[in-house]
Amino acid sequence: MAHALTIDAVSHWFGSNKVLNNLNLQISDGQIVAVVGPSGCGKSTLLRAILGTHPPKAGEIRAAGQRVTRPSRAVGIVYQHYALYDFLTAQENVAFGLKLDQTNMAFRTFQFFQWQKLKEQHLQQASEFLCKVGLEKAIHSYPHEMSGGMRQRVAIAQAMIMRPKILLLDEPFGALDESTRTELQMMLLHFYQENLDAREKGEDPPYTILIVTHELNEALYVADRVIGLSQYHADGANGATIVYDRPCPVFHPDDPRDFGRFVEQREELRKAVFDTEENKQHEQYITYWSERQQAESAVS
Amino acid sequence: MIRQPIQFSTKIGISTVAILASLATYEMLARHQSNINPKQTTVPSLLQFGEGFHEITEANDKGETWLGQDLVATFGRLAVGLGLGVVLSVVIGVAMGAYPWVEALFAPPVLFLAKIPPTAMLAVYFVLFGTEGEMFVAMVGLSVFFTLAQSVYSAAKKDVTDHVVYKAYSLGASSPEVIFEVLWKQILPRVIEAIRLQIGPAMVFLIAAEYVVGDVGFGYRIRIQGRRMNFDVVYIYLVILGASGLGLDWLLNCTRRKLCPWFGE
Repeated sequence: MAHALTIDAVSHWFGSNKVLNNLNLQISDGQIVAVVGPSGCGKSTLLRAILGTHPPKAGEIRAAGQRVTRPSRAVGIVYQHYALYDFLTAQENVAFGLKLDQTNMAFRTFQFFQWQKLKEQHLQQASEFLCKVGLEKAIHSYPHEMSGGMRQRVAIAQAMIMRPKILLLDEPFGALDESTRTELQMMLLHFYQENLDAREKGEDPPYTILIVTHELNEALYVADRVIGLSQYHADGANGATIVYDRPCPVFHPDDPRDFGRFVEQREELRKAVFDTEENKQHEQYITYWSERQQAESAVS
Repeated sequence: MIRQPIQFSTKIGISTVAILASLATYEMLARHQSNINPKQTTVPSLLQFGEGFHEITEANDKGETWLGQDLVATFGRLAVGLGLGVVLSVVIGVAMGAYPWVEALFAPPVLFLAKIPPTAMLAVYFVLFGTEGEMFVAMVGLSVFFTLAQSVYSAAKKDVTDHVVYKAYSLGASSPEVIFEVLWKQILPRVIEAIRLQIGPAMVFLIAAEYVVGDVGFGYRIRIQGRRMNFDVVYIYLVILGASGLGLDWLLNCTRRKLCPWFGE
C-alpha cells in the first residue's frame, strides 16, 4: 500500500528546549488520521514540519515519496482561523489554487485570452466543489460576508480541490459553535465515505487527511486511526513522541452519532496520552499496523 | 443619544445651511470692511472675487495666464513627486514586508527618517537639490516616501499573515506570485488609504517650499499676492487648492472602492 506520508526519526528542538523526540509514522493513502495531545506537546511543530515551513532539525519527512523541505502542492493545509484570501470571493478562493498550479504569471499576462478561457473552467470547477460542501448560495460572497462555519467550508474546499497527497487540518473546528462543528464533522465522514467507495471500485482513494484536534470525541468520531503525541513518556525529557497509535471505529455518514461506541477507547487514549502520573510503557498502545494486519488476515 | 443616525435629507439640509451661513457671514464682513475702506481687498466681497479671477486668467503677450502657469508648475511637481515617491515606497515597503534581509537593511533608516518633519528638512533639500524644479519634485517624493514606505511595510507585515503565505505556497505559488497575487492584493486598499493621507502633507510641503524659494506655482503666487494684500487672488488660489485636495481624495476613494470592493467602507 502506498504511503501518503512517511515520518522517519524526526526530532526538533528550539535551543535547549526539546520538542519532538524521534517520531516515526507512516500514513497510507485514503486514511483519516487524528492527532491528539496535551497543550505544548509539539502538535503544531509537527504540522509545520510536515507542511515544510519549519523542517525538522533531525530526521526526514516524505510526502508521496518526495522529501519535504518547503511547502509544496503535495501537502495542503487548513488552519483554525481559515486564512482565506480576503480579496477573493468564495468561488475565487477555491479556484485560486488551480490558477497558481496550472498557470504562471507569464501565461496570464501574455496569453491573456487563453487564460480567461481557462479561468472560466477553474471557476466552474470551484462552483461544483462549493456545491459539494453546501455553499452554493455563497459562491460570490467575500470571506467577511460569511460565518465562521462557511469560511471553514471554503477553506476545506480550497485545499481539497487541489487533491494534495495529504491534507493537514490544524484544529479546523476549534473556533466554531457546536452545531457547525457537527456539520463539518459530517462533511469529513462524507469524504471518508468517498475513499471507501473509491477503494471498492479499485480506484485510489482521493483524500488522505491528518487532523489535529483537542477534542477526543471528535478524533475518534471522524478518523479511522488516532495518534497520541505526548511528552508524558519514559524519555519525555527529550521531547514528545508518539505514545498512542491505534485504529478507531469507522462511522459512515448515515450512522447515528453514537459516542458510546468508543467510550473505552477514549478512556484508554486519555490515560495513554494525557495522564501525567501513569508510568507509560507506550509500546503497548502503538498497535495500529499489527491490528490492521490481523484484521486483513481475518477478512482474507 | 451619541451616534443617533439622522436621515440623509436632514444631513444634506444641515450641510447646505452651514455653507450658506458661512457665505452670508463672509459677505456681511466683506461689506462692513468695504464700508470702512472701499479699496480694501483683505476681505474681498464676492464681486471683488470676480475681478481677482479675471486677473489670474488674463493672458499675457505669450498667451500665458497666472493660473495656467501655476497649475502646471504646482500640480506637475506634485504629480511627478508623488508618483516617484509612491512607486519607490511601495517597492521598498513590500520588499521589507516580504524579505527579512530587506527589512533589516531599510527599516532603521526609513523608520528614523519618517519621524523628521519634511519642512524641517527644507534647508537640506535646498543644499542637495538646489532651488529649481527638481528640488520641489525631490522634496515631495522624499517627504512622501518615508512615511508611505513605513505604512506599506506595516501593512505587508500585519495584514498578510504567515498562514496566508504558507497556504499560497501549498497551493503551488512561486515567491513572485505570493508577492503579486497575495501580498500586493491584500495591502492595496491600505496603500490607497496611505496615499490619500499623504496628499495633504505633500501639498503642505510643496506650497511651503514654493512660498520660500519658488518663482512660479501656487506657493509663490500666494506669497507675492499676499504681500500686495490682493486677497481676492489669494483666496481663489486657496479655494482651488482645497477643491483639488477634495477632488483627489474623492478620486482615490472611488479607485479603492472599484479595485477593492471587498474592503468595505
